[in-house]
Amino acid sequence: MRTGTRDRMNPLDVNCALLRARWPSLAAEVREAGGGVLQIRPAKNGLPTALANGKWIHSQYDPVREASVWAEAQGAQVQAGELAVVLGIGLLYHVEALRKHMPRDWKVAAVVPSRQELHDAFGARPLGEWVTQVDWLYGSPDDIAARLSMARSPLRLLTYEPAAGLHDDFHRAIERSLRQRLAAQAGGRLHVAVVGPLYGGSLPIARYAMAALESLGHQVMWVDHSAHYGAYRVMDGLKEARHRALVQGKFVESLGLYTVSRLAEDPPDLVLALAQAPLELPILEHLNRKRFVTAMWFVENYRHLTYWRHLARGYQHWFVIQNGACREAFRQAGAQHVAYLPLAADPSVHRPLALTPEEKTEFGADVSFVGAGYVNRRRILPLLTKQSWTFKLWGNEWEGAEDLKPVLQRGGQRIETETCVKVFNGTHINLNLHSYTGEGLDPQADFVNPRTFELAACGTFQLTDHRALLPALFSENEIATFRNTEELLSQISTWLHEPEARAAMAQAARRRVLVEHTYRHRMETLLAAIGVSRPDRIGAILRGERQAGYLATHCSTDPELARWLREFPSGQRVELKEVAARIKSKGPTAVLTRDELLLLMLDEYRMETRDLF
Amino acid sequence: MSAPVSRAVLLQLARLGDLVQSLPVIAALKAGGIGSLDLVCPAPFAPLASLFSQIDRVLPWDGLKWRTWADLWKRAPDAVVDEVNAYIRTLTDEPYPVAYNLNQHPRAVLAAYLLADRVIGPGEGGPLRKDMPPWAAYLRRVAQDRSGNRVHLADAFCGLCRVRATGRAPHVPAREVRVPTDLEAVGQDDGVWVAVVVGAGDRDRCVPPEVWTTWITALLDSEERAKVVLVGGRAERERGYVIQDGVAPLLQGRVWDAVGRTDVRELAGLLSRCHWVIGADTGPLHLGAATGAKAMGWYFARARVHETGPYGEGHWVWQAEVPLMTDDRPCPARAHDRRSSARWPVKESVELLLTGSCRSLVDGWSLWRSRLDRLGAYFTVANGPSIPDRSREAIWERLCGAPCVQ
Repeated sequence: MRTGTRDRMNPLDVNCALLRARWPSLAAEVREAGGGVLQIRPAKNGLPTALANGKWIHSQYDPVREASVWAEAQGAQVQAGELAVVLGIGLLYHVEALRKHMPRDWKVAAVVPSRQELHDAFGARPLGEWVTQVDWLYGSPDDIAARLSMARSPLRLLTYEPAAGLHDDFHRAIERSLRQRLAAQAGGRLHVAVVGPLYGGSLPIARYAMAALESLGHQVMWVDHSAHYGAYRVMDGLKEARHRALVQGKFVESLGLYTVSRLAEDPPDLVLALAQAPLELPILEHLNRKRFVTAMWFVENYRHLTYWRHLARGYQHWFVIQNGACREAFRQAGAQHVAYLPLAADPSVHRPLALTPEEKTEFGADVSFVGAGYVNRRRILPLLTKQSWTFKLWGNEWEGAEDLKPVLQRGGQRIETETCVKVFNGTHINLNLHSYTGEGLDPQADFVNPRTFELAACGTFQLTDHRALLPALFSENEIATFRNTEELLSQISTWLHEPEARAAMAQAARRRVLVEHTYRHRMETLLAAIGVSRPDRIGAILRGERQAGYLATHCSTDPELARWLREFPSGQRVELKEVAARIKSKGPTAVLTRDELLLLMLDEYRMETRDLF
Repeated sequence: MSAPVSRAVLLQLARLGDLVQSLPVIAALKAGGIGSLDLVCPAPFAPLASLFSQIDRVLPWDGLKWRTWADLWKRAPDAVVDEVNAYIRTLTDEPYPVAYNLNQHPRAVLAAYLLADRVIGPGEGGPLRKDMPPWAAYLRRVAQDRSGNRVHLADAFCGLCRVRATGRAPHVPAREVRVPTDLEAVGQDDGVWVAVVVGAGDRDRCVPPEVWTTWITALLDSEERAKVVLVGGRAERERGYVIQDGVAPLLQGRVWDAVGRTDVRELAGLLSRCHWVIGADTGPLHLGAATGAKAMGWYFARARVHETGPYGEGHWVWQAEVPLMTDDRPCPARAHDRRSSARWPVKESVELLLTGSCRSLVDGWSLWRSRLDRLGAYFTVANGPSIPDRSREAIWERLCGAPCVQ
């Protein structure tokens, strides 16, 4: 095409012509699509900028400069050999800047969630030859994820938030699909440190997570703080609240230092903390400086426990059990990566049980509830007494609930897990009432508690209060729900008379747990999510790229090194640590080759992670 | 050393103070007949080391690069090994016949073997051997026992390299090094120019800012032609501000703030313009002494006068009799009164600096003066006889089983 002709063409024609050379069908679809997603406006510097849904997608003043800053910051994350994948289209200033910022032989791809939006971008301004130097990814989220997972390069996802936000669901679907694909491919063995809390509901979850990671073949280091709980409680005896807070605070600080020391002795690939883990911001900052990868599974209601605000920027990856506003709140507090990760069940713990006649007598009932005496439960549960059905209440912290005393079992003792499982299995209708510190049902009922999954895993019938996030996890054929106390009472009456339907639902719920909602599934998802955002570290290990066989075949330029690596079993994960140990095993009088000296030196520098401070 | 070698490399990968304290061994090696002597030192110190007149070439050791390679190795092992090999080639095309290693850390031992065919000093038996040559074992024992060693570290470096100290103070010619423009006036007019080293790394090694303020005030009040230059690293700028703020406005015009504004080479240039350098951080004290200033150290934490006092004739060290390691250890300046200048040798050191002697000492501190003889540096109590401790001779005899070149 002659230049003069091109000059007379409008930008859409020019850009589509450029695109056609490599992506003819996309070029045709963009031309046909029509626009309207973006409202184009002139910026103060005269260049076109854009608005969508009342928000600026690019700078009102200088979109090129803004894009350049973005590209510089994002480009710094990309490493040689990776494929940089941009999420967010807008007017493509940022894609252009990234393409120009990165070396020509480094690959850049852009996800096209909407042909209409690309039509707007192409129509707004002539783009130039760089359009042909970007891989345009279009189709369904699954198609795009499939193409990306077939790419030979590790992926580095770069999000241009102002534009990506227009198609949040689309991008999340891609990430979800990518995670699933990575999880399915994962063959590498990670070394994960699980840091648990001193006590509380997240403690058993930490143990389930640890067991799940082990069952996936990863090496797990359990940093168990529950052993220190007794000492912590002793300090409760201090009468002066100020002193108590000071001493307990110092104690928690010490536990943080203890954790760092454990991590320094055997540096893991990933530090996974569970909610309430005693790691404060200075400790997390230290771990970041030492280049540890850190993640927190915050299995709490973020509205009730708000200490996450102080820690948001401390963990590199947050996993939360609430969605939407929760993720946004974490991001605003400084969290880099926030992902929704619902709770789950461990089917080796929560399982169907055949009870003995004695156990049936003790644990059996028409209706049961197991849990602590939160305010809402104290108001609602008395409605279940003095009915035509039998009702048993299990759990602790029911002091003062006189109207529930006749149904409270074992005098309100704390009930251990194994007993819970028996109660679940012995009960016709297990009531699952999410905790709330107000009078009635939780008005912001979004997250789904662990009990939901545990009851389902036991293959028992449950009636749970409605939760916004429940339908995505279980269908109405798997778990019955109620929205108010009237529905609660009427549903109990109904379901008590339908044992076969109850059994069918319970079995369906159990099947769903086994297929989708075990801690093993959650850990696969969690690791894959971190692997997608850390392709060079966690991702590479999960893909098996740290195993001796893989490394040896990628040592084409150094036969001596390849020979070295072939001495290890092909599937064994090999790090500098292992190589150095092998070299040192030659004995003190060994004469070392230059490569061996180099490898020992590299290992010395790797070990700097071990330096405490 | 059996026969002089034509070409050798010396490795010093530790801190600034260790680098400057390597000057006597450099002089001794050259005096022993080595033709060409190169020096490997941490990259940030290379500009300073290039001032060492007896060094032919400085090889900067880039720890940051090594850390990056260690990270990258997992992803592309062969590419990293190629890159590291290329880096080593930029340091030297041909292996040195001999490397003199001054550090016990495995990194220094490995670096020595990467650069040379033969190693003298820690690791000389082989890169994987744990046994140490006599001088290296001695130094380790001294560090562990904190016993009454009288051999200066700079002279022990000579022992490690199997040479004897020359008995002369080293000199770093830094007077021509350019300093930031506004500091060019330092040392230009008459009067006593004193560099005050405001920090010393760890908090428990630092003299409290209030004490420095008092000291500076005492000096400027006592001698109207005295001027003070505050020196230190970038992390110590805040400390420098606090010290300056405490000085009376009328005196502030005689205080120059160079804290965090010089690299290590410029610091040498600045110290060379001063008559005195005083502080608790041994690195700048050694550097000041080597560039021609008189040094006065306040040693109250880990530093010990006999091992790391300023090298040469006529430097001074105030040594706390009980080391202050943390705020709750017994010491001359206990936690509760550390900030009180009464516990520090303030008046006394000002008097010493201005008159060359001091009439009284401070409880809990002893005062030492540096001297030189054929075995190197030693320290004697102030106002006492200048007789060296005889134990040094015995140590040299015991440890120099292999011949040491005089």
